[in-house]
Amino acid sequence: MIKKNYIYILGCTCVVTLFSCKHGEGEYHNITDKIEAESKNYHGTSISSEQLLEGIETIEISEGPHTFLIPERKGQIKSYACTECHTKPLHQLKINDTIKKAHWDIKLIHANLNTMNCITCHNGNDMDNLKSLTGNTIDFNRSHRLCSQCHSKQFEDWKGGAHGKKVAGWAPPRASMTCVNCHNPHKPGFDTRWPAGFNTQKVKERE
Amino acid sequence: MSGIGKYFKLNLNSATKQTSGSCGCGSSSGGCGTPKEDTSETSYGCANTSGGCGSQPQSQTHISDEDFDAAVDAAIGEGPKKDGFDQVFDVQMDRRSAFKKLTASLLIGAGAVSTSCSVTTGEDSKEKAQIDWEEQFKGNYKLMTDEERNATVERLVRSYQLRKKKNINMSSKDAEKDVLFGYAFNISKCQGYMDCVSACVEENNQDRNSQMEYIRIHEMKDGKGFKFEEADDNYYHEVPAEGHFYMGTQCFHCDNPPCVDVCPVQATWREDDGLVVIDYDWCVGCRYCMAACPYDGRRFNWSTPEVPEEEINKNQHYLGNRMRKKGVMEKCTFCVQRSRAGKNPACVEACPTGARIFGNLLDPNSTIRWVLENKKVFRLKEDLGTEPKFWYFMD
Repeated sequence: MIKKNYIYILGCTCVVTLFSCKHGEGEYHNITDKIEAESKNYHGTSISSEQLLEGIETIEISEGPHTFLIPERKGQIKSYACTECHTKPLHQLKINDTIKKAHWDIKLIHANLNTMNCITCHNGNDMDNLKSLTGNTIDFNRSHRLCSQCHSKQFEDWKGGAHGKKVAGWAPPRASMTCVNCHNPHKPGFDTRWPAGFNTQKVKERE
Repeated sequence: MSGIGKYFKLNLNSATKQTSGSCGCGSSSGGCGTPKEDTSETSYGCANTSGGCGSQPQSQTHISDEDFDAAVDAAIGEGPKKDGFDQVFDVQMDRRSAFKKLTASLLIGAGAVSTSCSVTTGEDSKEKAQIDWEEQFKGNYKLMTDEERNATVERLVRSYQLRKKKNINMSSKDAEKDVLFGYAFNISKCQGYMDCVSACVEENNQDRNSQMEYIRIHEMKDGKGFKFEEADDNYYHEVPAEGHFYMGTQCFHCDNPPCVDVCPVQATWREDDGLVVIDYDWCVGCRYCMAACPYDGRRFNWSTPEVPEEEINKNQHYLGNRMRKKGVMEKCTFCVQRSRAGKNPACVEACPTGARIFGNLLDPNSTIRWVLENKKVFRLKEDLGTEPKFWYFMD
């Protein structure tokens, strides 16, 4: 009889333990599981960034598995096409140094001079296009291909979306800035500068 | 609980016994509705609101099941729909807050009566009084129907128009289906320029007097790991400084947010797209959420927030950057007014280095998903189980 009671109490305890401590934690163990499960039936949303991209001329590029938009470049270069001035190949245009140079303000601060100079990227015989290390033509609109020759790691991250910025919003269609939208190709590094602001109240609060 | 009685019948000699037990299994939401001792009388006895769990109904021999269910429903915000009056007054509260609410309502009521009965006051002030009256007795935003939400937004827009003679644009756009917002922060890219901080302040109409900021950028020494107590979050020198790296913190929009659990009035909650938001008109300013947040994500308005008229961002959202008042909490909402319109939050847009990545976690083709799947990501205090939707990574 006592043994029966004992089993009964044990049973009850088991049942109570099973049902009592229900946390409000939902059906998923963690956020990664949740994202995985809930995105299985993803069919897009009604939010689109198309409207935000209006007025920005873009071109579609496909690099590996990624297809997305980047801003069109040639229209943004002030004096494109270059051949409007560079009517002859560069070596024929060369005259004495007394005339002020057109690109006097450009100083190349990109790698060192053993690695790079102007003709690493520019072709003196075809100023309207860029050139790859092996001498192939690269369009100004697809300058990321030029950069990716050396910066392959950054290129991988950029294609996936870990490097760089979006043009407008997070919503599809994806439109990402291309390399030269943030980096000056002749001086790609970011300067040191002062922060945007200083919080004087925070200092007072912490006194 | 019907008729006019509910508006003034206060049990001031509250002798309600508190019978809440504690079982440590963390009930997920708000109050626990301690059943009343005397069911024959409308009791507003000391509220036992936050935190606790399952008070034992068995010990209350003379409470009917119906009443108990109603009390539980009321506590968890379900059950029959209540209008604004009910939501304000038909809850358990202590004497102090009861007096406070009554006084505030009386003042507004008196104002409304005096202006509407007076022949000398203009139409504008009558309308203002009417708006104030309706705003005072509106319900919790979470429980409002779409019409009620539109109505309160319209009132707030009109009120601003009447007071400041300027038009604002306020939205009450709901969470979209199949959207879960997530954020990634690249520690190797952040240079400490703090452009995000100033963009955030401008976008979200934070108080300029107290210089409230949602985002903190911590300057940390290389090779020392994440030592927040040794980091400087208010530096002013040329950046990036030699031998330092920078990391930003803000509200992480936890998927299991502890701040929501502790709110005694359910003025803060998690939306379906993952944003943790606050109803500024429902917040009582107890700052429990501020204490509960392990990431210092929440800010409190110690004084009435002031923003110069020309600097006010007039593109607003009810749950986002509309003007707050004194004594309420606020925090980052991933710029709900922008993100729900497809834009990036202001901090993401302002960042010159591309250290901030924002997107839809449920879209398998989104860039945020690529980051989570291909970079070595981590989150802060992951062991707490708060499931922040804010990941850090390095190049």
